[in-house]
Amino acid sequence: MQEHRTQGGPDSADPIIEARNVCVTYDLEHRDAMVLDDVSIDLRRGEILGVVGESGSGKSMLANAMMDAVEEPGITTGEVTYYPEDGGEPVDVLDLPTEELKEFRWEEVSMVFQGALSSFNPTMSIRGHFEETLAAHDYDVEAGMERARQLLGDLYLDPDRVLDSYAHELSGGMSQRALIALSLVLEPQVLLMDEPTAALDLLMQRSILSLLADIKAKYDLTILFITHDLPLVAGLADRLAILYAFELAEVGTATQIAHDSKHPYTRALLQAVPNLDAPTDSMRPIEGTAPNPAHVPDGCHYAPRCPLATRECHEETPPWVDVEDDHRSACFHSDEAEDAVPFDLSEVSDA
Amino acid sequence: MSRTDRDGDSGETPGSEADFEAVGDALGTPEQFTDEGRDPGPAPISGHARNGRVAADGGSSSVSEFQQMADVSMTDAERRRQWIDEKLLAPARIVWSDWRARTGVLVVVSYVLMATVGLAIVTEPSPNQGGYLVGAFRTLEYPLGTTASGVSLLSQTVYATPSMLTMIASGAVFTVCLGTAFGTIAGYKGGTVDRVLMIVTDIMMTIPGLPLTIVLASALQIDGNPVIIGILITINAWAGLARAIRSQVLTLRDAEYVEASRIMGMETSTIISGDIIPNLMPYITMNFVQQARAVIFGSVGLYFLGVLPYTSVNWGVMMNAAVNRAGATSSPAAFHWLLVPMVTIIILALGLTLLAQGADRIFNPRVRARHAETVASDGDDDATTGEI
Amino acid sequence: MSYVLKRIAQSVLTVYVVISASFGLVRLLPGGPLDYLRAQAVQQGGSDLSMSEINARIAAQTNIAVNEPIYVQYADYMAAMLQGDFGVSTRYGDPVMSIIGPAIPWTVFLTATALFLAFTVGVSLGAFMAYKEGSSFDVASTGVGLVLNSTPGYVLALLFISYLGYRMELFPTGGRYASELTVGFNASFLGSVLYHGALPIASMALVGFGGWALSMRGNSIRVLGEDYLRVARLRGLSTRRIAMRYVARNAILPMYTGLMIAIGTVFGGAVIIENIFAYPGVGFYLIQGINARDYPLMMGGFIIITIAMVVGITVADLTYGVLDPRAKGGGSRESY
Repeated sequence: MQEHRTQGGPDSADPIIEARNVCVTYDLEHRDAMVLDDVSIDLRRGEILGVVGESGSGKSMLANAMMDAVEEPGITTGEVTYYPEDGGEPVDVLDLPTEELKEFRWEEVSMVFQGALSSFNPTMSIRGHFEETLAAHDYDVEAGMERARQLLGDLYLDPDRVLDSYAHELSGGMSQRALIALSLVLEPQVLLMDEPTAALDLLMQRSILSLLADIKAKYDLTILFITHDLPLVAGLADRLAILYAFELAEVGTATQIAHDSKHPYTRALLQAVPNLDAPTDSMRPIEGTAPNPAHVPDGCHYAPRCPLATRECHEETPPWVDVEDDHRSACFHSDEAEDAVPFDLSEVSDA
Repeated sequence: MSRTDRDGDSGETPGSEADFEAVGDALGTPEQFTDEGRDPGPAPISGHARNGRVAADGGSSSVSEFQQMADVSMTDAERRRQWIDEKLLAPARIVWSDWRARTGVLVVVSYVLMATVGLAIVTEPSPNQGGYLVGAFRTLEYPLGTTASGVSLLSQTVYATPSMLTMIASGAVFTVCLGTAFGTIAGYKGGTVDRVLMIVTDIMMTIPGLPLTIVLASALQIDGNPVIIGILITINAWAGLARAIRSQVLTLRDAEYVEASRIMGMETSTIISGDIIPNLMPYITMNFVQQARAVIFGSVGLYFLGVLPYTSVNWGVMMNAAVNRAGATSSPAAFHWLLVPMVTIIILALGLTLLAQGADRIFNPRVRARHAETVASDGDDDATTGEI
Repeated sequence: MSYVLKRIAQSVLTVYVVISASFGLVRLLPGGPLDYLRAQAVQQGGSDLSMSEINARIAAQTNIAVNEPIYVQYADYMAAMLQGDFGVSTRYGDPVMSIIGPAIPWTVFLTATALFLAFTVGVSLGAFMAYKEGSSFDVASTGVGLVLNSTPGYVLALLFISYLGYRMELFPTGGRYASELTVGFNASFLGSVLYHGALPIASMALVGFGGWALSMRGNSIRVLGEDYLRVARLRGLSTRRIAMRYVARNAILPMYTGLMIAIGTVFGGAVIIENIFAYPGVGFYLIQGINARDYPLMMGGFIIITIAMVVGITVADLTYGVLDPRAKGGGSRESY
């Protein structure tokens, strides 16, 4: 399985993006809706960090906040610091002036969205997208297009054919790969991927993930991979962060999370995984529903659905517990989680 | 994107342990549903909306199965109540909550009342009812004034309403029926049938409607039956609708539930009327209202020109008389004679325009979900996003 | 390329069908035009006209030689029509083409100008409303757009002609240009043409632009919410480029089908408008023909209006194929 990374203390080893106390709020008529609540996490240089959460848990917001791309009228607060390669001046992303923010996006940190088809202008050729991006950032268009061909080739696409196509002429997998190439054309350091494989079939998901690993190695990228699909990302990511209802529940290496989770929510997620081999009664949906952003419970957001919840869970925000080296869990009862929410590894492994 | 959706009944994030490969290979994981739900693709409409919404929940597959089982175990009374709630009360609530639709409905209802109850209240128009060319709002007896021959304009306007409404309805029904028939058959059958029907449709579309009506009315020597005039006015208007319907049917044809019906060996006509048409209802309704407006504009215009036969007075004939007999355009004394039918038309047309806009909302499943109490718990991504 | 050929073949077919149908209407209907013309001829010529003289007269008027077999009649009729011979007007006694021919450019001038003004003003206004969505400007414009959209062009024309034409005497109430002027490319003539055309054009354009503004507003708001717009902003594209290449282009293209339908509406509407303003265009003569039961003039007017519209729609359709890459093959075009 995954090797344990040997870097230093939790969340401190050579971060490329450091998010501290990031909140995203929407000012509704009656009250504020918080769609990202005090999230602190580091993206380490060269890693693939998987962020897992249900739809509506705020995981897309986290990616958006990292490049100050939360759309109006959402308000992002907290601190996001970007550390350029070779010890350049750290950049305070949320305070960047418009012009510098424009350069920062796509040149330093780039993003891939789900639904590639809808990410392309339907009335412009793929080539047009590459050229206008290069031109908007004052890059040399000719050299840039050469790089675009290279990237498309690396992603097993026929560059000339794809560049001359319109998005609707490409298959789902092709347009998703073309979008990845477009996001890399300005040679960014960091790639934020928001459910990049969600609209694809399983085979295509697989092949894109393996391409992603190659591309990451070749272009020396750091990747934040957002998904609702824990099994999908666990094989790819170095570390995993679990989000529940707008706040982080647990952070650790992929192996730690998958085998020794110390948070009842993560464990419930793992229990809910459908598997053809597992007996149906061992597969359990999580009771209840996730909270609405305008009515988030006090204390631990998961408390209303948690079998372990006690009074303090409902009243106080749980502190971070370092359960292992590089593995932290936001739960008052992290040491009881294992017994309370069991899931039998052997069921799956034996099959 | 899903920044504020409050869906996800349960952990739709299935996780597994060590052997992720095995999990991934276990085809048919519920993510597929989730993904489709999040895709802003063709919105599930009408009869199938419930199933669509289950998929859109992003919930785990087991939850949606529970919900479907619950449906089966409902009693008849419950189901009837739910049907009424979903099909009648929810749309009514939506109509009433939107000022456009509300105004539209009020306008249309008041014209219908004018054509029915109005006839009993207002005296029949006849020459020398009152003075010649009495202005509007001068006397209580003739609130809208009189014509050059002393006919009350209010009486004329009211007594013209039944035939106008008949004409409007017949034209709109004709267009909608023919357009839907051509569009669904062409789209569903495809192949040669499609090609032939579309050539006919394209030819009809490129013939100018009003001139065609004029020429036909003149050459055919028809009488002034409002039903026939209504059809004549919309003689080729169905073509545009047929084209639009066809393209929608093309996408519906390959929907899974249609395919299921086909596999079960259902008749084509059953599939079209049971699976296809219900999904086109929003579009058809919108077009019905728009065609109704087109019939008013066309018929009044042609009556005004005096090129259509008529059996009883109507708004267009009133305008024609005002201009040709009293020179209403150049003489201020007769202007009200022209103005009364014009305002009558504009108000009805405005009502229909507003109604069309309201209809759009009724059939929009997102708006609908927000107002339907029975389905209130099925939070829809975009419904919530819309509030922010 | 094959699409262009197919499209043109379709247009030719349409014209062919319409002309054939006109033959059918004139020739085949019992108690229809032909019998009427015969009665007219007898009445005018008195009893000293022989049957063959009457037939010859009808043949000259309608291009239909009644004593020939029907297929010969049809072939002769079609041949004459294709040469631009639409018969002889019974009312004016002149060849139909010499009456309607000179009227064509005037009708095209009115309709094309009105359509262009309505479309450009409507689209710009709609885009602006979308950017200011929810503002009082947006709300007020939406209201005005709704009211104008619910007003037929001829109502506006009647209001214009009675207020601005007769009462305030600001605009002429008839004609194409001041009669004392000589036709030519000089300022006073062109000025007079615009002056006489102003009210007819305004009444057609004003009722049209509300509809365009409302659809453009809706389309723009939809495009503004699209993912690709967001990605474009993140890629750092300039506001100008986003407005033109992304919002405007993607919001206008779906309106093309509407534009084609509007060509028909405007041509139909022009028939009524031209009569209100006594503007001698094709529609004016069409109604003259109807009122005088002048079948050759009526059919000629109808066929010419149809041809003009077919040309307009074909051009619009072919341009659309160039502008929208998705239109290849013509499959996804009817998405309105």
